[in-house]
Amino acid sequence: MPGPLKRLYRRWLARRLPPARQIVLSQKRVFIFPTGYGFLYLLVAALLFVGGINYENNLILSLSFLLASLFMVAILHTFMNFSGLGLRNGTSESGFSGGSGALQVILFADQRTHHSVRLSWPGQSAQQVHVIKGEECAVWLNLSLPHRGRIAAPRIRVESRYPLGLLCAWSYVTLDHYCLAWPRPVASDHCPADGGEHQHSVASSGQGGNEEFQGLREYTPGDSLRKVDWKGYARGRGLYTKVFAEPAGGRLWLRWSLVEGLPEEQRLSVLCYWTLALDKEQAPYGLELPGLTLAPDSGDVHRWRVLDALACYPEFD
Amino acid sequence: MARIYQLPTHTRLWLTLAMLLCSLPQLFRGPLWQSGLLVLVVVIRMLVDRQRIGLPGRTARTALLLITVALTFYSFGRLYGPDAGVALLVSLFALKYLEVVKLRDAYVLMVLGYFVCATSLLFYQGILMFFYVLACITLLTACLVGINHSDTSARAPQHLRTAAVMLMQAVPLMVVLFILVPRVAPLWNMQIGSGQVKTGMSDTLSPGEVSSLSRSSEVAFRVAFEGDVPPMAQRYWRGLTLSTFDGRTWRQGLPAGMSAQDYLVGANQTPPHWFSVLKKAALQDALHYQYRVVMEPSHRRWLYAMAVPFVTDPDLRMARDFRLVADSQVDQRLGYQVTSVPSATGAMTLTPQERQLMLTLPASVGPRARSLAMQWRRDADSDSVVVQTALHYFHNEPFYYTLNPPRLEQDSIDDFLFRSRRGFCEHFASSFTFLMRAAGIPARVVAGYQGGQLNPVDGHLVVRQYDAHAWSEVWLDGRGWVRVDPTAAVAPQRIESGLQAALDAQGNTASNLGLDFSGFSGASWFGQIKIWMDYVDFRWQTWVLDYDTGRQLAFLSRIFVSVTPMKIALALLVCLGLPLLLILGWMLWRRERHPLSQEEKEFNRLFRLVERRGLTLAPGTTPRQLAEAISDRWPKAATQALHWRQRYERLMYSALPGDKKKQLYHLRRLRNRLYKLLY
Repeated sequence: MPGPLKRLYRRWLARRLPPARQIVLSQKRVFIFPTGYGFLYLLVAALLFVGGINYENNLILSLSFLLASLFMVAILHTFMNFSGLGLRNGTSESGFSGGSGALQVILFADQRTHHSVRLSWPGQSAQQVHVIKGEECAVWLNLSLPHRGRIAAPRIRVESRYPLGLLCAWSYVTLDHYCLAWPRPVASDHCPADGGEHQHSVASSGQGGNEEFQGLREYTPGDSLRKVDWKGYARGRGLYTKVFAEPAGGRLWLRWSLVEGLPEEQRLSVLCYWTLALDKEQAPYGLELPGLTLAPDSGDVHRWRVLDALACYPEFD
Repeated sequence: MARIYQLPTHTRLWLTLAMLLCSLPQLFRGPLWQSGLLVLVVVIRMLVDRQRIGLPGRTARTALLLITVALTFYSFGRLYGPDAGVALLVSLFALKYLEVVKLRDAYVLMVLGYFVCATSLLFYQGILMFFYVLACITLLTACLVGINHSDTSARAPQHLRTAAVMLMQAVPLMVVLFILVPRVAPLWNMQIGSGQVKTGMSDTLSPGEVSSLSRSSEVAFRVAFEGDVPPMAQRYWRGLTLSTFDGRTWRQGLPAGMSAQDYLVGANQTPPHWFSVLKKAALQDALHYQYRVVMEPSHRRWLYAMAVPFVTDPDLRMARDFRLVADSQVDQRLGYQVTSVPSATGAMTLTPQERQLMLTLPASVGPRARSLAMQWRRDADSDSVVVQTALHYFHNEPFYYTLNPPRLEQDSIDDFLFRSRRGFCEHFASSFTFLMRAAGIPARVVAGYQGGQLNPVDGHLVVRQYDAHAWSEVWLDGRGWVRVDPTAAVAPQRIESGLQAALDAQGNTASNLGLDFSGFSGASWFGQIKIWMDYVDFRWQTWVLDYDTGRQLAFLSRIFVSVTPMKIALALLVCLGLPLLLILGWMLWRRERHPLSQEEKEFNRLFRLVERRGLTLAPGTTPRQLAEAISDRWPKAATQALHWRQRYERLMYSALPGDKKKQLYHLRRLRNRLYKLLY
C-alpha cells in the first residue's frame, strides 16, 4: 500500500477501533472474509454445480447446494465463535531500551467458549489459544523496546478460523497499554550521588559492610531476598527480614542535578547505571529527579521503582 | 507468517474414516487392486502415525503414483472417460491421504473427498446413497473442524457433533436452494451409463422371448396417475410395434417411401399432417389419462405409454404408430409426462404403403394357417367378424397358456396352431397377427407390458418385467387401429388380474415354475416394508431426481401465480436471508442479556413489590437504600427490612460458608413476611 493510503487506513482504523483498557469484540469490531481455502471450497461448489447441470444430476446439484449452505452456516459459526471475546490489559514486563519487554494480554470469555483464537502483532509469531467460557487466559506478547520511555502496545490482530477454516473473522485491537523501557545503562566513573561518605567511585562492598545489624522483623513481600534471615528460615522459624541501622556512611542520593554536561538521555543512562551498581552493593539509595523524589531504600521493589521513574521521566503518574 | 502445523492427533480417526467411507462405493465398481491400494495406504499411515516407520519419501510416493496410473491404464485401457477417471480420482485421494502432514495437505484431501462423493452420486442415485453421501460429508466436515481446532486435548467426538449441528442447519438452506435455483440447460452433453446390462424387452419378438422375461421381478417402470386410473384390463403399455415377419421373428419395419422424419414427431418441429389430425381428434375427446412414467434404465430408445400418447418434453418424439421414442438411449432413470387419449386411434389413416407392409407375409410359412384364414374370410362379411371368429377359435380349441411352451418345429405358425397349442402371449400374438394378415386384414404385433400393480401407499403403479406382454392390432376400416389381445381369449385372468393369477388358473404355481412374484404380495410385515420402500423410491425419483426446469416451473407456479426471475430472486433472498438474520438477531439478543443470579432475582422481586405498593425508587437503588425506604414508609416493617438487608448483604458479599440454598430460602421467607407487612 502506498504511504498516504496506508496513513489514511491507519487513521480510519484508529477512529473505528479506538484504544481502550478493555475491549469486547462486538459486531462493530469484527471483520469477516473467506480464506484462501474458503475460495477454493466455493470453487469446488461451483464446479459441482456445473457438473450437476451437465450430467443433469440433481443429487450432484444438491451436493453443491449443500456445500454452499454449509458455507453460509459457517459464516455464522465463525462469527459466533469470535465475537464476544474480551481482551484487557494484564501486567507488563519492563526491559532496558534496546532490549525487549513483554506485555500481558488477558483474554476472557463471558458468553461462550472461543476456540482457536490467534493473536499476533508485527514482528511476532502468532499465538493460538482457546478461551473457555467463564475463564481467563493470559498471553504474553513480546515487544521490542527501541527507545526509553513508555512504549505503547501495538495494534494486535486477533483472528479465528474456527470451525471450518473457510472464513477468517478478525479484528484489530489496540489496548491502552504500555511497556516501560528503562534507560540503557551507561557506565561512568563518577557516582552522581551525595549524602554518603564516598562521592567518588564505590569502595568496598561487604555484606552490608557499613551497616549495623539491628534485629528481625516479619518479611513483607518486596523485601530484598538478600536480607532475609535464611538461616532462621531453615530452622523453621518462618521468613524474617534482617533490619539494619542507618548505614554508617549515611544515605546516598542519586541526583539529576549532579549529572552535568550530558544530554538528557545520557543523564538518565548514567543514573540507571549507578542505580544498578548501588543495588548490587545493597546500599540504600534515593533518587531525585525534577518533579519526583524517591526516598532512599534498597531491595528489588525499590530498584524497580527507581528504574520505572527513570523510564517515565519527565512525566510521572 | 509461517506456522508449523502438524495434523492434530484427535482428527486422524475422522480423516481415515472419511477417506475409507468416501471411497467405498467406488471400490465396489472399481478394479480389485484399488481396494488393495486403500488397505496398503491405511496400513502405512497407521504405522507412520505410531512412529514405527517414517513417512514414505518422495521417491516411494512417486513410484506408487506411477504404479497406480499404470494399473489404471491396464484395467481400463485408457486414462480418461468416466470409469478410468473415477478410478484415478479415488487412487489419488488415497495417495493424498498417505502424505497428509500439513494443514494444506488436509485441505486438498477434503476437496478431493468432495469430488469422490460427487462421483458416487454420478453412478448411484438412490435415496440411500444420498444419505450415505451426507454421512460422508459430515465426516469431512468433522475433519475440517478437527484440523482447525487449536486445543490439543480436544476430543474427537466433539468434532463430529459440531459438524453434525452445522450440517443440520445447512440442510434446510440446501432444500431451499434446490427448490428455487433455476436449472440451466446443460453446457455440453455428458451422459454416463451405469454399464449394467439389465433384463428387458429387445427390439425383436420370437417365440420364447417374452416368457423368459417373466422370470424377472425387476421393475420396468412406474406410473403415477393424475386423476383417473384405467382399469387393469385397459392398461396396455405399448413399447414397440412389429410389422415384418420372417417366419419366426417379428421385427420393426418402416413402410416403403416413408422417411423417419415423417414418421417421428418432436415437440419443436413442424408437425406433419397426420399429427395435426390426431391432435385435433384428441382435443375433442373427454376421456384421457394423465400420468407420469418413471422408467428404469433400459438402454433402449423406446418408451412405454398407453395409446395415443401426447408429450410436451422436447427430448421425446411420438411415432406414427402411437409410440414414444427418446432422442437417446435410456441409460439412467427417466421420467416423462404423458397424456393418453385412447380413442384418438380412430383419426389415423392408413397409406397404401402401410397397408402393403401390414399385409406382407413370408411366402413359405404357414400354409395350413393361410387356408384357415381364407376360409374365415369367405364365411364372414366383414373384417370384424373375421377377428371375432379367430378369437373364438383360440377360445374354443384346446389352447393352453403356459410359461414353458414346447419347442416349435420349423414352421412356427402351423406347428403352434395345429400341433402344440401351448404357448405364451408371444405365440398367440404372433399366430393371430399371421392369421389376420392371411385373411387380408392389416395387422401388427405390439410388444410392451400389460397390467401392473398399484402401490397401496400412494396409488402409483409398478410395472415389472414379468408384466411383459405381446398382443396384436388390426386395422378395421372406419375404426382405425384396434387392439386385439388373443391371450385374453385363452387366459382371461392374465389380462384381468395378472400373470400370477393366470398361471394359477392353469394349474401352475409360481414356485414350481421357479418364478419370482415378489411384487407386493401378502400383508406380512415384509410385504409392508416392500410397499413402503417402493413408495419412497418412487417419490425420490419423481420429487428429487426428476426435478427439472419444467417441474420446477410447475411447482413454483403453484406458489407464485406467475413465475418471474425477479420473484425467484426475491424468494431466494427471503428464504436464505431470513434464517440467517434470525440466527444473527438471536445471537445479538442473547449477548445483551446478562444472566441474573438467584440473589439478584430475589432483590428484583422485592424491588418490584415495593414499587407496586406505591413507592417510587430510583433505578440504582442499593439494598441499604431499599431497606431504608421501606422503614420510612412502613415503620412497622422496619425490623424485617433490616433483617432482610443484612441477610441479603451477607449472602451477596461475604464468602459465607454454608448452604446457599438454605440462605436463599431464608431470604425468600423474609420477603414473604415483608409482603404481608407492606400496606
